[in-house]
Amino acid sequence: MKKMSKVLALALTLVMTVSLLAACGGGQDTQNPENSKEVTVGITLFEPMNYYDENGQLVGFETEFATAVFEKLGMTPKFQEINWDSKVMELNSQNIDCIWNGMTVTDELEAALTLSLPYVQNYQVIAIRAENANKYKTTADLKDAKIDAEAGSAGEQAIQADENLSKAAYTSVPMQTEALKEVKTGAADACVLDFVLAKAMVGQGDYADLAVIPDLRLSVEEYAIGFRKDDALAEQVNTAIVDLYKDGTLMKLAEKYGLAEQLIEQK
Amino acid sequence: MSFLTVNMMLGKSFLLNCEIFFVTLLLSLPLGLLLSFGSMSRIKPLSWISRLYVYLMRSTPLMLQLAVVYYVPGFLNPGHILPRMTAACLAFVLNYAAYFSEIFRGGIQGIPKGQQEAGQVLGLTKGQIFRNITLLQLIKRIVPPIGNEVITLVKDTSLANFIMVKEVIAMAKEFGNKAMIWPLFYTGIFFLIFNGVVTLLLNRTERKLSYFQ
Repeated sequence: MKKMSKVLALALTLVMTVSLLAACGGGQDTQNPENSKEVTVGITLFEPMNYYDENGQLVGFETEFATAVFEKLGMTPKFQEINWDSKVMELNSQNIDCIWNGMTVTDELEAALTLSLPYVQNYQVIAIRAENANKYKTTADLKDAKIDAEAGSAGEQAIQADENLSKAAYTSVPMQTEALKEVKTGAADACVLDFVLAKAMVGQGDYADLAVIPDLRLSVEEYAIGFRKDDALAEQVNTAIVDLYKDGTLMKLAEKYGLAEQLIEQK
Repeated sequence: MSFLTVNMMLGKSFLLNCEIFFVTLLLSLPLGLLLSFGSMSRIKPLSWISRLYVYLMRSTPLMLQLAVVYYVPGFLNPGHILPRMTAACLAFVLNYAAYFSEIFRGGIQGIPKGQQEAGQVLGLTKGQIFRNITLLQLIKRIVPPIGNEVITLVKDTSLANFIMVKEVIAMAKEFGNKAMIWPLFYTGIFFLIFNGVVTLLLNRTERKLSYFQ
């Protein structure tokens, strides 16, 4: 037993030495030694932003985007799953250094955080069962329907803001994918959700018999990264975003994850 | 929003918890008794099926059972789905019947066989033996464990929010969107009061049954 812990201690020392050396190596190509630090990125798991692929590897547009940005800044991102409802608290308590997970810009968030340049545009769409495609074509067709959205989401706000949808029988669910499940099974007739998520999910897998109502866009909005108020990191990230847009990296990532038409041009 | 308004809104949604509670208690007790007869039956297949049922219901989370009862019919046949409350009550009845059946079985099997034999010697029929000898002792023995389940049931009713039944805790969480956190913790009061009454009733029942050893 004692021998084993000695071996373990030796191995640990070795690992630490190597990583220390590696950290020093990283410090050489940036001026500021502070930059070689680890940045904790707050995420939730949803396709195509941040998710685990078949190999258990964290991938997704935001995962690769964040990795590229922080690589440019000489930092290492560490992805940390958070509870989306308490994202601002997580940030201010320094559990995470930024929220980077398809976060919709709102007035409240703008007041509470320092936000990056918006990089992806999004809007809310309505998912229905494909068999009802002729029945539900406009929001007016849905005013007597059962309709779901995630509690506190942009989709919920879109329902409240629409004069027809606000008349429908509304149920709030804890997750957007839960809403899709409700539509599929007939617990609900329609749900309002992010276009990004709808594009990745609707028509796929168990949601194969669902469809998005075409040409119906509700509450168009933009995605940005959230930082603590007046954190200098925001400015650095913005510069990196512009660079990555100009050299085409960002577009390539957007195409890879099917977000090309939503990417916002950076000048 | 005033304290009174919050109380009114929480109270109204607690009625859903109460509804699940009463429906479950009313239906799962007789179903549990039938099931316990099934488990003890000398007809082997019946006994196997009953025991398998009890195994399935006790070994999977109630939350999962709620999802199965509510979503699986619609998953197989889109649009054919029970109303949320009906599905919730059904899942609770199915689950609690399994627990109750084991309590009944334990109670029945715990009564010495000698009493049954004595009844037979006296020429009583099987039904008479059950009604006149077994039943009252059975009731006395099972009140404490049943009481345990009943108290658990009161609290479990809030699991119905897993299938979007807006019971008291789901309602309280919605106050979070109005920047009010305390209603969530405050819901404890509703359960405390309800279970307080249940506990008093259980104690009284036990006292009433204490006239023989």
